Amino acid sequence: MTTMTLGRRETSRADRRPGRQLRGDKRAHKNSLRRAVFLIPGIALLGLLGVYPLIQLVWMAFHRVTNATINTGPWEWVGLNNFTQGFQMGETGPAISRTLIVVAIVTLLGMIGGFAAAAALRSSGWWSSALLALMVFVWALPPVVNGSVWKFLLSDNGLVNAIVMGLGRSAPVPFLYDTHWALASVAFVGAFAVIPFNALVFRAALLAIDPEVFEAAALDGTNKWGEVRHIMIPSVRPTSLVLLVLTMVYAFRSFDFIFVMTYGGPGTATNTLPFLGFLQAFARFNFGYGAATSVLAVVGVFVLAVIYARSIRKEEA
Amino acid sequence: MKKRTLHTRMAGAAALVTAGALVLAACSPGGDSAAPASPGTADSPATEGTVTVWHYFSDPQQVALMEKYADLAEAANPGMTVDNVFVPYDQMNSQLISAAGAGSGPDVVIFNGAEAATLALAGALAPLDDFWSDFADANQFPDSVIHTVNDSMYAVQGYVNLLGLWYNQDILDEIGVHPPTTMNQLEDALAKAVEANHGGITLSGLPNSQGEWQGFPWLSAAGFTYDNPTEDALTAGLDRVSNWVDQGWLPQEAVNWDQTVPFQQFAAGNFAFAANGNWQMGTAQADANFTFGVVPLPLGSTGQVYLGGEGAGIGANSAHPELAWAYLTASYLSVEGNLAAASLVGSLPARADAAADDSIASNELLKPFADTITQFGAKYPSAAIPPEAVADVQLRMGQAWSAVIGRQHSPADAARTAISALNNLLG
Repeated sequence: MTTMTLGRRETSRADRRPGRQLRGDKRAHKNSLRRAVFLIPGIALLGLLGVYPLIQLVWMAFHRVTNATINTGPWEWVGLNNFTQGFQMGETGPAISRTLIVVAIVTLLGMIGGFAAAAALRSSGWWSSALLALMVFVWALPPVVNGSVWKFLLSDNGLVNAIVMGLGRSAPVPFLYDTHWALASVAFVGAFAVIPFNALVFRAALLAIDPEVFEAAALDGTNKWGEVRHIMIPSVRPTSLVLLVLTMVYAFRSFDFIFVMTYGGPGTATNTLPFLGFLQAFARFNFGYGAATSVLAVVGVFVLAVIYARSIRKEEA
Repeated sequence: MKKRTLHTRMAGAAALVTAGALVLAACSPGGDSAAPASPGTADSPATEGTVTVWHYFSDPQQVALMEKYADLAEAANPGMTVDNVFVPYDQMNSQLISAAGAGSGPDVVIFNGAEAATLALAGALAPLDDFWSDFADANQFPDSVIHTVNDSMYAVQGYVNLLGLWYNQDILDEIGVHPPTTMNQLEDALAKAVEANHGGITLSGLPNSQGEWQGFPWLSAAGFTYDNPTEDALTAGLDRVSNWVDQGWLPQEAVNWDQTVPFQQFAAGNFAFAANGNWQMGTAQADANFTFGVVPLPLGSTGQVYLGGEGAGIGANSAHPELAWAYLTASYLSVEGNLAAASLVGSLPARADAAADDSIASNELLKPFADTITQFGAKYPSAAIPPEAVADVQLRMGQAWSAVIGRQHSPADAARTAISALNNLLG
């Protein structure tokens, strides 16, 4: 109401002084031009490194592009053939299923693990700081290093199997060479790598809660679980939606750990969409197939990106 | 027309980068440390200037060999400087292809010889025909080490690498068997070794070209060939390795092993046998605390062993190809270079005169590999595979090999899938 009144007042003053209004308009126009100039480098970079390559990728997906034609052309138009071939050869369908499994595992473990770690880290203390530092370290590790360490840990002679066998199991768990275990293992490692990031974001949301809320809850006799259920979870709900989408996008791009830990094996058991696209483009040198598979992955990520943008807008509103 | 080609090349390079960026998002396997140097651009006489050499060697002995090549070339060509640039194996082809699209790349590239067709078709290698026809020592090299694509020569191997059967003599003595010469003897020895609580055999079951390279000898022993690929023969070959896993003679974990890991397992003394290459000689001598030896793989009458090794070629966009050729003739293709490869890495010289050298003939570890060339030697890749299908065939067969060892598919299912793919690829 106050704002509306002020606005009306300003308008009437401006009406009374047309010269000032004109100068104001000019200044606003200049400012807007200046802002546009500052935007140019960003738009140019985005166009050059984001939009143009994306257009090229889609263009390739509809052409026959191999190592023999990638540099010299011409690229033969094949319509949807690159997309349908992948399904007909039985590669794309299973890869989509595996990708969805990986997304489900990474998202579930990543979200729950991230929240649990954030809840644990909310309190202050040396161990909390130490754990936080450790998590940031894990988060900052290059995926190749992280994957190599996990490959070593999960091997037959690795630490995890040593513990498992120490507990009485007679044979090692085939973490990385059994068809089902291998997919679960790479998804687990993917989740492990995203937990620190999720924990940091959740922690920021938890730290924004007024301490008096917890004090009031304590006076009412609420236990720890009650604090989690009735204070923390509702408080992080807006953050959770954004983080959920980001985690799903991260999981959808699952490539690095598969490359390092299983190379898609055994056989094709851990070929997710991104890894299948890699094999098609950079192992079989059929860039058309690889582009088509990548376009499918891009569509998946794009849908999630739209959801993300909407949820951000909602949160800001 | 030229404009169109340039546009396509630029678009190709951009698209390649894009596909890579999208697919490899957040994953550059060791690539950050391997930014290739730009090729030399100075206009210089044939024996002066910098020669940029791309290679993928990380093993200390192999790196020492590259340094030895540089020393030989620089000594023979005063004014030449050699710049060895490491590019990870997994990135070598894609980097060469994208560099070719951008009009850059190395002067010399040392790569997996089997992938010559892939690189040549992509325009990453320069034809060597003119250099080769003027090369005085060309007749020292057998045809099997010369890589031609569409009747043009693009690469040559200075040495040959191949698989043999490494054995742990201490374990064989304990279980009372001799180094096997037949498949039955090998399987009998494997059974006895496992009964005595030792490991049986190690090899690579990776679902890529390494798996195909390791699997082909065993598959060919069952009658499989690329000239006439039959489902029955492939099933029989895959059945054999499947049985090895069932019996506990071959660890299922082999699907995660490249060719280095299984030899490390063997060198640690855990296994009776390792199907591995002559290039492991240095590792065996350095790491194995037991008596070891090598015999040819016991592959029977139909068996074949690929004659592999690194091919050397000149980059398509080399600013001074004559200098690059001078580097190759002074190092990789010279007698001294061939002998250095044998002494440092254990590779068999490709040159006839170097192969006849006393240091080679008297080497007990190299002799079984030399015998294998005569007995089972096969061109790598098979001439029956069209150049444009080589990479695809290797991947499909590697996946079949891995799928059986890892229990993803039965031998019959894996063979059916692979043969179906081969029928399309082999034409």
